[in-house]
Amino acid sequence: MSLLNKNVSFILVFVAQASYSQQDVILASDEEDILSEEIIFDDDLFGNVFDEQPTRENDSWLDGLTVRIRQQFYGQVNSHSIEPIPGFSFPKNAALENNRLGINFRFQNSFAPGWLFQTSGQTRAFWKDDYEYKANGNNFDAESRINEFFVQRSFEQHSIKFGRQTVVWGETVGNSVLDVINHFEFRDFTIIDIEDARLNQWMVVWDYFGEESNWSSFINLYPEFNPAGVRGSPFFFEPTYNLTDYQRDGEVLVEVGTQWKKSFDLSDISFMAAYLYDNQMRFEDPISGFGDAVGKKNDYILLGFSANRAIGRLLLNFDLAFSHDVLADSFNFPGTSALASPLNLKKDRLGTSFGFEWAIDNQQSVSLGVQAQKLLDEREGLLPGQQLIYEGVYGSWLVRYTNNLLNSDLTVSSTLQGNIDGNSLLAFLSANYTISDNWAIGASIISISANTQSPLIFFDEDLRLGFTLEYSF
Amino acid sequence: MIIKQGLTYLTALFLGTGSLYSDAQEISGLEIMQLVEDAQRRTNDSSFNRMQLSSCKFGVTDGRITCAERPRVKSLESVSKNYGVELKDTKSVTITLEPAAERGIGMLSYAYDEAGRDNETWLYLSTLGRVKRIAAGDTDEETEPASLFGSEFTTEDTDTGKLEEYSFNILEETTTSGREVWKLEMIPNEERARKTRYSRQVHYVDKERLVTLRSEMYDRYDKEIKRLMASRVELVNDVWMSRSLTMMNLVTNRLSNMAFVEIYTDLSIDDEFLTQRTLTDAAYRETELEGLRAQLNQ
Repeated sequence: MSLLNKNVSFILVFVAQASYSQQDVILASDEEDILSEEIIFDDDLFGNVFDEQPTRENDSWLDGLTVRIRQQFYGQVNSHSIEPIPGFSFPKNAALENNRLGINFRFQNSFAPGWLFQTSGQTRAFWKDDYEYKANGNNFDAESRINEFFVQRSFEQHSIKFGRQTVVWGETVGNSVLDVINHFEFRDFTIIDIEDARLNQWMVVWDYFGEESNWSSFINLYPEFNPAGVRGSPFFFEPTYNLTDYQRDGEVLVEVGTQWKKSFDLSDISFMAAYLYDNQMRFEDPISGFGDAVGKKNDYILLGFSANRAIGRLLLNFDLAFSHDVLADSFNFPGTSALASPLNLKKDRLGTSFGFEWAIDNQQSVSLGVQAQKLLDEREGLLPGQQLIYEGVYGSWLVRYTNNLLNSDLTVSSTLQGNIDGNSLLAFLSANYTISDNWAIGASIISISANTQSPLIFFDEDLRLGFTLEYSF
Repeated sequence: MIIKQGLTYLTALFLGTGSLYSDAQEISGLEIMQLVEDAQRRTNDSSFNRMQLSSCKFGVTDGRITCAERPRVKSLESVSKNYGVELKDTKSVTITLEPAAERGIGMLSYAYDEAGRDNETWLYLSTLGRVKRIAAGDTDEETEPASLFGSEFTTEDTDTGKLEEYSFNILEETTTSGREVWKLEMIPNEERARKTRYSRQVHYVDKERLVTLRSEMYDRYDKEIKRLMASRVELVNDVWMSRSLTMMNLVTNRLSNMAFVEIYTDLSIDDEFLTQRTLTDAAYRETELEGLRAQLNQ
């Protein structure tokens, strides 16, 4: 924990540096002084923005660049033991998990009328005691990746985007059954929101903006799958065989989809249809018994509907998804499946997510989202004694509360997530404070409770504390 | 989420129609404020604004009001157009340019004048990846006054309508900032008093330009809690307006300055620009904005 203490000091040093000199200014303790006619008020105290003539000649292409630098500390602070199987327990010691510096950039440039280029990316440096530092043999490590990278052309009622990008469907925030176009990566507990976990893919997206309604269609030219856990991360487990990317061997994979959307007074509705691959590959044992696990893709058809309805300060959300020919045992890893061996059993699945967002007032809001799915005719094709990983109705729920304080400088939020079967509960509490236009700090706590019926049993009673310091420009 | 539609109303409150009224006996307080409201509609319509909103804790240095901390600065671009009967409905798009952490956040608002009809708002955040409808109700009627963009300006300060809910007294004719003004008292009726934080407001309205040069807001104990100072009164597109508004919160000792760096009205704005497309289609938005800027340079 001494390292954490050092890190807090590090934050305070930066905060102090970011503060403004107050030496010459007498704070007004009595408003009568301020109201005195002898006190001079001049509106140039923020600099004279009117001196500059409005012109775009001085605009720079760098104006479209946003950079965010973030140092993050995250640690599991509760030393305890877990017992995933009765009689088999192992200790979990408090430890720092994340000690990393991240640099995110985003660049947008409208380089010609109707044209736009946008890219974003990130670099991470893993310092001492970060799990990726440890996984690298206790050596410094770093990684970089490009997230968005696309060119957009808009003309008349049309817009076409080509490149790496995301497509988001569904209304329910956080756990929509329709938010399945992009694959995602939950690498550790610093990312618990789907908004932060989506990964970009190479796509062509065509939007048509009609007078009464809009169409949005996409072709995913290179569908990708959820990456396997990163060695050393809290979610990593040693598999029997290596889990690799999908071996395409020259095979061309394509996803396509389209969405029709219309807005009414206080309501929006959408219908959508898509040909997709499950984001999660199913892994099978190698035939030879050694080497890499064999990743199996699965294609299916998705039909969906989503709608919202605003009633005063209440917003109701609803999503409905019908998936045709999904793999009944798609979430299968060697040694972890309830099935002795995976079955090529295809079924239809019905899913819904629904909830509400309620603005208590201008500062506070509460939202609830429930996701529920069920395989249709789930027992059909199973041998006696065989059991699917997901049977009956399965899904999750999510509750969020947000309060903006101090003119929105301080945001306090809490999130509760759980499975609808009640086997796990994740409680997340965070506070983010904006120090200045450039600097911000944040702190968070995550607590997990789970029973042996949940994969989260491996994190039962874990308590994580996190701190971030952020500079953006 | 706070609705920011009120920016255009605030613009209008501090501008005038250019008429000259020299005798208080000829015009009532209500009529003065109605003239201000008429001007509001003129400036809301088909307008393009670029604003800088700066906030800080303030103190006194050498007899001058100064910031006691590094100011927080937001830069915004806003496009508005009026619709409906008597052009009383407003559609507006606001894009945040600065600070960097909020760059690109877009908000589309439809504000309806009709009683009981909820306003509509959509928000675009790049992290969200899509346009999201925000449920906020009718901000004028239902919600508590709230900060605009985290500044000392509130939604209540931007709400210039509903004059029938106030009574007016012209307190005196005096001079402020070298200009002849009416010192005008605005007192909410019983119904309005339940919604407002101010027991009364005092406005100093330039008699010639019909621009409010200064406002004082009092709480229920008749203590002045906020003061608004207007400066840089200029004739913009044949309408007198203040391009610099400073709201001083006398309770928290914080102040915010809203500088209208650019403000243009009577532009030709495509109706499609005030739709969700502007939030998601950045190529379209930038092209249309360039078109608007080209009009400004003509």
